[in-house]
Amino acid sequence: MAGTKVLRALLHELRQAAHDPGSIKNSLAARYILAQYKKFETTDQQLCKARNEAIFLGQTYLTYLSSLRKYNALYKDYHSRGERTVKETADLVGFKLPTDPK
Amino acid sequence: MSATLITNTMRLLRISSSIKWHMPTIAAVRQYATPPKRFYKTTNVLCTDAGYEVTLDHRKLKTPNGAPFMVKSEPLAIAVATEFDGQKDHIERSRMHISALCFTAIDNPNKLTKLDMVNYLLNFVATDTVLFQYDDEKDLQELQRNEWDPLIEWFNQRFETNLQKTMNITPPQVSEVDKMKIAKHLQSYSLETLHGFVFAVDTLKSIVLACAVIDQQITVERAVALSRLEEEYQLKFWGRVEWAHDFSQQELQARLAAAVLFVHFNCSENLIKEKSIL
Repeated sequence: MAGTKVLRALLHELRQAAHDPGSIKNSLAARYILAQYKKFETTDQQLCKARNEAIFLGQTYLTYLSSLRKYNALYKDYHSRGERTVKETADLVGFKLPTDPK
Repeated sequence: MSATLITNTMRLLRISSSIKWHMPTIAAVRQYATPPKRFYKTTNVLCTDAGYEVTLDHRKLKTPNGAPFMVKSEPLAIAVATEFDGQKDHIERSRMHISALCFTAIDNPNKLTKLDMVNYLLNFVATDTVLFQYDDEKDLQELQRNEWDPLIEWFNQRFETNLQKTMNITPPQVSEVDKMKIAKHLQSYSLETLHGFVFAVDTLKSIVLACAVIDQQITVERAVALSRLEEEYQLKFWGRVEWAHDFSQQELQARLAAAVLFVHFNCSENLIKEKSIL
């Protein structure tokens, strides 16, 4: 079921984004999302626009959290340190320096 | 007279030589203002008569303009509170897209009216990414036809317009009737919602894709992939560079997702119909 998968992924992302990863139970967003899931649970088997919308919003929020996390990771890796040394640049593109052993 | 001039010059020279000229260190090529420190421990949401507010410890969150932060939708306030809670040591305001959108909508720093934004969006139609296709390269053309044409068709059906793609540099002709129809749809959104809409269109460089993703026809990832279609195609030949391609892709996805959430939360009353439990 797509809904459960999205829920698990959302909670995972929220835990990673939180300032204090241990306190996910007190997190407003997690509690809100769980409440929403409870609310729309009744319409599980029916063709219901609201449920599709709830899932769509869940997926969108999941995309938001995960994209932002990956963006931050990439930024930290590549863009946050200013200019690189010649050695670092060579390592980045898989080249060797003339001084390196063959 | 000339003696004072000479002594002044001497003094200036002495001062300038006494200031040690620091070579800029490698780590700091350019000096930006440091982001503010995280000064709060917990974030929370307050429910008042006028709407929802966000608190940082005991302080109420304010917009950059100094206005109190107040939104109509609860999930939006929760998303903002979560975003502030997610800041580590510093508050990185440039990476808080949902908060930034709320702030822009509340402050409206450019004093835009609904008409301004609708006109801006209408002018975008003639330069929509998906309307400009390229037939010199067979594979690319096929890709564009398979991926973009269904969405143009969907758009034409949904808004009863007649947008045509173009195969060269001349922009497609958009008739006044079509413009009126699109304007009518855009006018039905509130001013705050239109801020989100403009943000989505600016991210995707396409009104067709933005409408499709806000209408839940395609997911956010797919919309971003479609707006970067040619880039993705060229990547197959020239290679994928993580710090440029992935970087921009993740940023566009985050921005678009923020815009879509913002639009939905701002007009969710008429979209989510709660089912009464028997």
